[in-house]
Amino acid sequence: MSSPSSSPPAAENSPTTGKLPAVSRRGFLKGAAVAAAAAEGLLRQPPSAAAAPAGDPSAPVSGPTSITLKINGKDRDVTVEPRTTLLSALRDHLDDPLTGPKLVCNAGTCGACTVILDGKIVYGCSVLAMDAVGRTITTVEGLGTPEKPNEVQKAFVEKDGMMCGYCTSGFVTNLSNFLNKNPDPSLEEIKERCKGNFCRCGTYPHVFAAAQAAAKASKG
Amino acid sequence: MPTTQPGKKTILVPKIVNGVPSGEEEIVVDDTDAPAWGPKDKHRLLNTYLPRADGPHKATGTAKYTHDIKVPNMAYACFVTSPHAHARIKSVDTSAAEKVAGVLAVVPLPNVEEVRFEGQPVAAVAAKTLEAAEEAAHAVAIEWEQLPFVVTAQDAMKAGAPAAVNGGGGGRFGGRAGGNRGGNPEQVLDALKSCDVTVDATYTSVIMHHCCLETHSVVCDYSGGDSATVYCSTQGCNSITTDAARELGLPASKIAGIVYNMGGGFGSKFGIGIVGQWACRLSKQLKQPVKLVLTRREEFLAAGNGPGAIQTFQAGATKDGTLVAVHCIQQALPGIGRSNIAAQPYQYRAQHTYREQNTVNTNEDSSVAMRAPGHPQACFAMESLMDELADKLQMDPVEFRKKNVPDPAWIRQLDAGAKAIGWQNRNKTPGKSANGSSLVRGMGCGIGAWGGGGRGGCVATVNIGQDGSVTVQNASQDLGTGTRTYVRAIVAEELGLDYNDVLEEIGDSRFTNGVASGGSTTAASLSPAVKDAAYNARTEMAKRVAPHLGADPSAVLFADRQIAGNGKALSWKQACAFLPSGGLSVRGEWKPGLSGNGAHGASFAEVEVDMETGHVRVVKMAHVQDGGLILNRMGAESQINGGMIQSLGMALYEGRVMDANLGVMVNPAFNDYKLPGCLEIPELIPIIDDGDERNVVIGLAEPANIPGSGAIANAVANAIGVRIRELPITPDKILNALAQQKNV
Repeated sequence: MSSPSSSPPAAENSPTTGKLPAVSRRGFLKGAAVAAAAAEGLLRQPPSAAAAPAGDPSAPVSGPTSITLKINGKDRDVTVEPRTTLLSALRDHLDDPLTGPKLVCNAGTCGACTVILDGKIVYGCSVLAMDAVGRTITTVEGLGTPEKPNEVQKAFVEKDGMMCGYCTSGFVTNLSNFLNKNPDPSLEEIKERCKGNFCRCGTYPHVFAAAQAAAKASKG
Repeated sequence: MPTTQPGKKTILVPKIVNGVPSGEEEIVVDDTDAPAWGPKDKHRLLNTYLPRADGPHKATGTAKYTHDIKVPNMAYACFVTSPHAHARIKSVDTSAAEKVAGVLAVVPLPNVEEVRFEGQPVAAVAAKTLEAAEEAAHAVAIEWEQLPFVVTAQDAMKAGAPAAVNGGGGGRFGGRAGGNRGGNPEQVLDALKSCDVTVDATYTSVIMHHCCLETHSVVCDYSGGDSATVYCSTQGCNSITTDAARELGLPASKIAGIVYNMGGGFGSKFGIGIVGQWACRLSKQLKQPVKLVLTRREEFLAAGNGPGAIQTFQAGATKDGTLVAVHCIQQALPGIGRSNIAAQPYQYRAQHTYREQNTVNTNEDSSVAMRAPGHPQACFAMESLMDELADKLQMDPVEFRKKNVPDPAWIRQLDAGAKAIGWQNRNKTPGKSANGSSLVRGMGCGIGAWGGGGRGGCVATVNIGQDGSVTVQNASQDLGTGTRTYVRAIVAEELGLDYNDVLEEIGDSRFTNGVASGGSTTAASLSPAVKDAAYNARTEMAKRVAPHLGADPSAVLFADRQIAGNGKALSWKQACAFLPSGGLSVRGEWKPGLSGNGAHGASFAEVEVDMETGHVRVVKMAHVQDGGLILNRMGAESQINGGMIQSLGMALYEGRVMDANLGVMVNPAFNDYKLPGCLEIPELIPIIDDGDERNVVIGLAEPANIPGSGAIANAVANAIGVRIRELPITPDKILNALAQQKNV
């Protein structure tokens, strides 16, 4: 941070723009991730812009690049940049986007963008889209539909585990994954598991009740 | 008194300005009999536990919010914002930004030569992708001349402090005349001399944030031409059209304003705001749709906040527990804006009172309405004062309150809350733990009040198809409060249908007129209009179907998805087949008699404090809330829980932290601005006060948020034996207070 008494120089990425200071998280991550994806031969085709010399899989990629993501059991082609997060790929870049996972903090603090990646929950805002190539992605839409909800989704409706609903997909995704592994959790285990999910309306008691009801229903 | 037309009458309703109740206004309504709700215990759907109408969509991620809207050829926009609390722009160089691949427009905001808070937008950028827009925003080079600033109330109140607003003089401008000064100060100070006990104390609460999970956002779907659709996360759907019309240069009637769902508002989202202004302007310039979504950081810095307050009391009571005299000077802390803290002695009765309110401005974003504007701050201070007086009187705090409340509703609620929390077990020896443990427990309480009344203007439409389908339409939005649910339930109940037989369509300005959600007025304004429309639809159906039954229209019954009369019955579908092919479309409007004004509540809290670490754990909370006729008990309990949890955040965790030297906010992110999370949630007991016999709808969203922070502050004092007079009550404050007590 510059001292308030002097006028700091105006430059790209400087705090004077009021945006993220210095190196952004995406900017920092993009080099490494792209190199890794390219090395594993996971990119569908070489990056279109600044294309790497043919036959050199280790060369860095940049610019819009077409990849295939396996989402909710389907292969979906999508054009992303190396800096595009998985969350943004789902919400902004897919044709017919999946907007169940929400953008709330974009910093891995709130859980609203929770998706299941190879059977484990991750924050979609903190995974690069290119790092999800070749992996199995499940979003809240892949867990059930309004007509055919899963037990957790059903219980959220019955117990009113939501108000504005903006945190709901995150909680539902997290708990659906959790109950697969721990079908009979205690209240304390549910709270511990959901401590990375924020709700501002204050629906927590009904979220906990829904989790317990879903566990009971799955067993019964 | 203006003369009223025949068939009309004039009534008083609450006036709401930007979400803040601002007295009352007269309106003219039809002087006819309105439909009645019927006995409270005879409802089939209302006043029962209904699942949220939009629940299945929210639980499966298919409910659409403004953030989720993507339309063909849509550009992404973002703001460039000020890094300084107070500065002048010397030059803006957009050349590097314009060279970023995919950039469509880089526009310095006109008339912004000087910024007055960190995060103030100074330029807008649009690009083909969000990534490119963000990169271009970083590349806008601005040369600043920094100017003197002040970002804490303490600094702003010092002599010679820089002016945060023009004409401010020392960071502060005097209280507005009128409502902000009341009573005779000399009389109060005189009366204090005859009191048996007195307390002089200053209570402080800090600027808080709404933290709507969906940040302010707008998608302007306009590609040139003569019409546009504008999606906006706003508490006032109808305001979208007029606001956007101004920016797009189109007639308001050619704009559709949409709020299908919204991720929280809490008072921070009225109109389309600066976000909508720039989404529209860029869209107009580019002749293509534009989406503009604030980042979380921008939301903290520039999307409004709830004001802090510094309140200094001199107050006294007599031995018999009568509150006699209250003298209070309030400093509101609204950044560069203005705001009101509710007057003292808040809801209590005292013979002699004086209240004066001033504003202390700082170089921070302006405060706006935040859930029960000005009330939680006033309540926390007054309820703390009440307990300090009760302590000096050696009187039970509940009994002391019961002696000084002006409405018997609170006596009933204080008794119910005391029972729920187990008040008889309240700590008799504050600050003393048993068995050498460092853990101590305490209990506290508080009361609150709110208007929540209905106002005219809402018009609902019920459409019945020849196929038996029923939709109910209104432009009002659902903030997450459960609007959709009761809109559906009212119509289903009136027409004798099942809850899922009716489809509600709301949040679209093309439907009949709605109400902006401020002051907890939505339910009390909209539900009467829906009831009236459903009643009119029923009357119209009866008229059409009665001849087929050979019955008198007034004797036709609607129940069990049937229409019956003269010993015969038709299924709803059979009956609707008699309608013309276009079906029926019937309107209804808000009428007096179905909604009321004046909600009361009482909160109780039990806490456990570790005297070694200063950590506070709320063990249990109970809140008793009235609301006349409860439209949906499950939704009401969710609201009451939410109110308790937000007051818990205010009491223990939340607050904007400013760096006084750099002029910047230290915690504009959820890592650092602590919200209550799963691990902080105590046992919560939401209690609907069924002792309230008023058979009218009264909004209860805001009142549930009011007394909890005072109750928790009082519980902490009862636990540790020392009073913390500044929110949030963090461990450092507790340890400091305990250390000071030891040193005395």
